[in-house]
Amino acid sequence: MIHFDNVSKYYDTNTAIRNITLSFEKGELAFITGPSGAGKTTLLKLIYAAELPDSGSVSVADWQTDRLDGSTIPLLRRNTGIVFQDFRLLDNMTVFDNVALSLRVRNVPERNVKEEVLDALKMVNLRHKTDSFPPALSGGEQQRVVIARAIIGEPTILLADEPTGNLDADTAAGIMNIVREINAKGTTILIATHNRDLFKNSGKRVIRLDAGSLVGEARG
Amino acid sequence: MPYAMKVALRSLWRERWINLLSILTIAMGLLVLTLIVLFMYNLNLFTKRLPERFSVVAYLKEGISEQDTQEIIASLKKHRSVEKVTYTSKAEALRELKASMKSADYILEGLNENPLPASIEIRLKREVVGPESVKSFVSDIRKIPGMEDIQYGEKFLVSLHSLKTGVQTAGLIITVIMAAGIIFICYSTVKILFYRRREEIETLKLLGATKRFIRLPFLVEGGVIGAAGGGISLIFILAFYAIVVMQLTATAPLFGAVVFPQRILACVPGAGFFLGIAGAFIAIGRIKF
Repeated sequence: MIHFDNVSKYYDTNTAIRNITLSFEKGELAFITGPSGAGKTTLLKLIYAAELPDSGSVSVADWQTDRLDGSTIPLLRRNTGIVFQDFRLLDNMTVFDNVALSLRVRNVPERNVKEEVLDALKMVNLRHKTDSFPPALSGGEQQRVVIARAIIGEPTILLADEPTGNLDADTAAGIMNIVREINAKGTTILIATHNRDLFKNSGKRVIRLDAGSLVGEARG
Repeated sequence: MPYAMKVALRSLWRERWINLLSILTIAMGLLVLTLIVLFMYNLNLFTKRLPERFSVVAYLKEGISEQDTQEIIASLKKHRSVEKVTYTSKAEALRELKASMKSADYILEGLNENPLPASIEIRLKREVVGPESVKSFVSDIRKIPGMEDIQYGEKFLVSLHSLKTGVQTAGLIITVIMAAGIIFICYSTVKILFYRRREEIETLKLLGATKRFIRLPFLVEGGVIGAAGGGISLIFILAFYAIVVMQLTATAPLFGAVVFPQRILACVPGAGFFLGIAGAFIAIGRIKF
């Protein structure tokens, strides 16, 4: 499903990713961990073509990211739900409209948007915050809105960058339950996280990065 | 309502002051542009009507015989440039003069003989009425024996022709400059809106929005700003017509001939709309993923 073939990525003189070869199967749930600056976020960005490799190649389903043009990148991204570390919520839009944006960019008819958005918000326990604006929400609530926006429309791949970073233990556990539910439907999920509790005893694959290099792989 | 329209209207309202400023600036630009077009239109209309009123008057020599006069008239009628010929005898000329000086006809009382010459008024064909062709025609007929003098508004014709060419050139240049100015205003406005929403655009890109999806609201905004500018400009033009032209007509009847054709006026909001879209299109530029 996702394949990194000897991929390197540099930012000026800093190495973000160094010679990584790695594959993820369809329907897999895997964790990417490592200290800050290890390259976790860059690894995810390479998947949704926000960054392109300086050497090597990244393949996602039938697409090779460095060969995509302006019309196919949106197709790749529509198949990929992303939980951004910095949320990327639009402050001038309501919670409803922020979540609906994922469907609107896919040209989902407006008559279907309402039902799907309300279902997604119900899933993350934010049904009552539909008309609120992001600045009026707590960090945890904002994170759940981002998760709702990422899972709506049932993407084939879900990438989550520190999805529980702002959540208390109970809410984080709730979010992980949602993630497992989505994964059970066949969605490939990659989670970049510092939080060991997320993958401890999960039995899932854990990939360790350090200074841009792959330093280990184990089962959680 | 389509999503792009909804986003555009929301943005138009959110940035209403900057948009209002742009709309008013565009309205002023389009006002000037439309007045120039209308001026050129009226001038063109006036010069087109000129051949109907323009004539060359040939004065005949004193004592010319009836037969020679008829020969001159016949040869003029045969000329390829001539549309119509009207002969006025000495006696008719005096009658007309007396009729035109009704209240001061005592001036003519002391005359022992008729000092006015017989004349032929020559109407030229529409396509011949131009400074060079009229000059050439006059030099042709000057050679006809029996001609004393030939008069026509040579200076007027040359001045009008120069004015027409000058105004058309200047009008074209001003039109291009004003149109470019309007495009630039829309460009600047949309560019500002684009920068203010760059975070939103980045997010849209990451969520899988196509270039068309991102562009469309901006094009709608550019179009709405341009069309609104055009609409306001149209109101100004109609007000100008009602207040200035109609008022002037009361004191100077010449202004009664000024026309504001509906088909030109109807184009003003449309022109604003297209110039607005053009400005927005340039402002957005290439969207890179």
